[in-house]
Amino acid sequence: MNGTTMTRGYVIIWAWLLLLMTLSLFASTLPVSRAAIVTLMFVVAAVKAVLVALHFMHLKLEQWLIYAIAILPVLLVLGLMVALFPDFVLAR
Amino acid sequence: MTMTATAPHEHHEAAGFFRTYLYSTDHKMIAKQYLLLGLIMAVVGGFLSYAMRWQLAWPDTEVPGFGFVGPETFNVLVTNHGTIMVFFVAMPILLGSFGNFLIPLMIGARDMAFPRLNALSFWLLALGSTVLCVSFFVPGGAAPAGWTGYPPLSAKAEYTGVNWGLNLWLLAHAIEFAAFLLGGVNFLTTVVTMRAPGMTMGRLPLVIWQQVAAATLFLLSVGPLIAGAVMLLMDRLVGTGFFIPERGGEPLLWQHLFWFFGHPEVYVVLLPALGAALEVYPVFSRKPVFGYRWIIWATICAGALSFIVWAHHMFVSGMDPRLAMPFSITTILISVPFALTVFAMVASLYRGSISFELPMLWGLGFLAMFTTGGLTGIFLGSAPADIYLNSTYFVVAHFHYTLISAVIFGGYAGIYYWFPKMFGRMLGTRLGQLHFWSTLVFFNLTFFPLHWIGIAGMVRRIANPLQYEMVAPHQWINVFSTLSLLGLVASQLVFFLNFFLSQFRGRPAPANPWNATTLEWTAPSPPPHGNWGASMPAVERWPYEYSAPGADRDWVGQRAPTVEALLRGEGRA
Amino acid sequence: MTTMAHAPTHLSEAASRSKVAIWWFLASEIMLFGGLIASFVISRLGGGAQVDHSQLNVLVAAVNTFILLSSSYTMVEAFACAARGDRRGMRMFLAFTVLGGLAFLGIKAYEYTGEILHGFTPWAGTFWSFYYTMTGLHALHVAIGVIANAALCVGARLGTERPYRVEVAGLYWHFVDIVWIFLFPLVYLS
Repeated sequence: MNGTTMTRGYVIIWAWLLLLMTLSLFASTLPVSRAAIVTLMFVVAAVKAVLVALHFMHLKLEQWLIYAIAILPVLLVLGLMVALFPDFVLAR
Repeated sequence: MTMTATAPHEHHEAAGFFRTYLYSTDHKMIAKQYLLLGLIMAVVGGFLSYAMRWQLAWPDTEVPGFGFVGPETFNVLVTNHGTIMVFFVAMPILLGSFGNFLIPLMIGARDMAFPRLNALSFWLLALGSTVLCVSFFVPGGAAPAGWTGYPPLSAKAEYTGVNWGLNLWLLAHAIEFAAFLLGGVNFLTTVVTMRAPGMTMGRLPLVIWQQVAAATLFLLSVGPLIAGAVMLLMDRLVGTGFFIPERGGEPLLWQHLFWFFGHPEVYVVLLPALGAALEVYPVFSRKPVFGYRWIIWATICAGALSFIVWAHHMFVSGMDPRLAMPFSITTILISVPFALTVFAMVASLYRGSISFELPMLWGLGFLAMFTTGGLTGIFLGSAPADIYLNSTYFVVAHFHYTLISAVIFGGYAGIYYWFPKMFGRMLGTRLGQLHFWSTLVFFNLTFFPLHWIGIAGMVRRIANPLQYEMVAPHQWINVFSTLSLLGLVASQLVFFLNFFLSQFRGRPAPANPWNATTLEWTAPSPPPHGNWGASMPAVERWPYEYSAPGADRDWVGQRAPTVEALLRGEGRA
Repeated sequence: MTTMAHAPTHLSEAASRSKVAIWWFLASEIMLFGGLIASFVISRLGGGAQVDHSQLNVLVAAVNTFILLSSSYTMVEAFACAARGDRRGMRMFLAFTVLGGLAFLGIKAYEYTGEILHGFTPWAGTFWSFYYTMTGLHALHVAIGVIANAALCVGARLGTERPYRVEVAGLYWHFVDIVWIFLFPLVYLS
């Protein structure tokens, strides 16, 4: 792999991350509902996380096992959160 | 770039006492250290159960060798008996010892992936055990809040009157989790990256599959409980209010976080024992395992399901009743893969030439006892029945049938089976027979009657059953169970005697005393440092080639013959 | 040197082992932070932990986010340098990463000090309990990463570095960055 092109790729990702960060900072000034703003923020956060994982952590170059190790716990956390809803959110 | 790396495993010269027994990075020595630690903690946990049962049979009398118990001490006994047996006996023996000993030997590696990390894992566990033992002697005594440590009882020192005992109990857990996290990472990395040539995942012995599944379950389930433990410790030490209702906290959240880990943890303990039994059956029935791939898929399914059954521990906790049905369904569902595994076990035995050697006796005992425990699980898994049975001695009987079948029967199956490889000598048969039969009888006499007294209404964690009018007429069951427990404890003394005597007086073990096929039996007994001498093993078939048609004997080993052996004109190893 | 012949395969084996191991470790870390964050989200949505926006300094946190994102970039550059044998570049980028981590911790400490001086201690309410526990646990991870990266930086000076160690430390560091990517909107913005 050519070192210089890789480096340029990293700079681009970095620029994207900073852009997205700025976007989420100013999202609260958008003239839309609060729920939409919060949703937007977490979509942006997820995109940032995926960018870091795929490019900085080289997940896009890894074999399926590493993917599985990375994705399984994320699914489990989401499952845990869903299962906690009835007791702590819906009960209110 | 300068390369100062040295080739691995070039130190074979005799090491000193310190390097051999204390700071050893050899996976086999670390396995023995885990085994010893587990057995020592088993003595501690067993002693607590003796004092506890004595108090239940003859409330508020002096317990010989322990002293007066009473309600406060009884809570301490209940709590620490559970903690010690699950975290400091079952896990060290079934994962720490078996996993460390078997993984490199059975996949054809010279050691674990990270030998020094391995030693660190063990010594962390030893530290955790020490912290737990020390907690008995701090002012206020040891933790009394149950092995599940439910808040709000556990969240404030004022509620139990115990401050440092409970803090140290939490600290001991944290250290234990760290030890097994590092150990689990080591296990999984070793199996993924260090298998011998030809050892595909489809040729991996089942016990290694089970260890992999157990380590995966542990790694993926313990995080939320560590988070919960941090929060609980903050509640106790800093004064936050995560779990304290008067400060706006949610006690129920702890139960969710605890059981999200707690249920997979049950399988963390069970699966290695299941694996040990699965290794024993084909060897002593001279038949291939039935349904190798089915068992693997059943294990994976059970592992996946184990993450979505946890709330069946909480049917009476006051959680949202809408959760009861989904969790009942998943719980009943999880019995399917385990039933499949049990059927595969029975089919593995069917029409085999069974020889009742000691490992096989324990293996069969495991099958019988685990099935019994599994059947009572069906009652407890369905919410309507559980609402009546929850927190009674029926539950106590249920989980002792499942956990003791795993830890004692499965564990002894493994210990008796691999003892020759581990220590280079055979375990004595006569004491072994006595040990097995007396354990089997006394175990059932101790725990089976607890089903009855549980249905009769005796609840867990009460110090004096005579205070309850409905339980008092059944007090004879408590007395009977306690007397049987004395027999059960005495039976284990037979094992310790045998274990000790056989180290010195046992018949020297040949490399393959059981005519087994897996790789570890091609190494000398006990294997030297580095396991394989000069030539690394290669693998050419699956692990259960017994009584193959056309073969000149009733087993064919997994290991491919070495070039030297072929040149000498010898057959397969 | 007879060991030279072994070294390349030995190193690449060690590299693949370490990578598998760190990913498994990160999986358990995802569960740890995931459990904590899930508890916080649930508590927020249930009304238990209401964010006190007036007391949080979003601007300072944004600067911190910028620093941590950038340190992730310098970390990956350090690995790129290590992979092509550029020891000087590796040292430089590792030093930047360490400085970024230290700056993050310093700013976080400044934030904590201000909040505590205004009476918003960990026991000042459910939100503050979660706030200190989550950011504190994260800061602890940052501190561990700083130590690891500093050790690698010193190792590069002494000539004992291995590229795969930079990769492993990098994977950990990026994970810590990802945790912050979620904590930032969770605590400060929403």
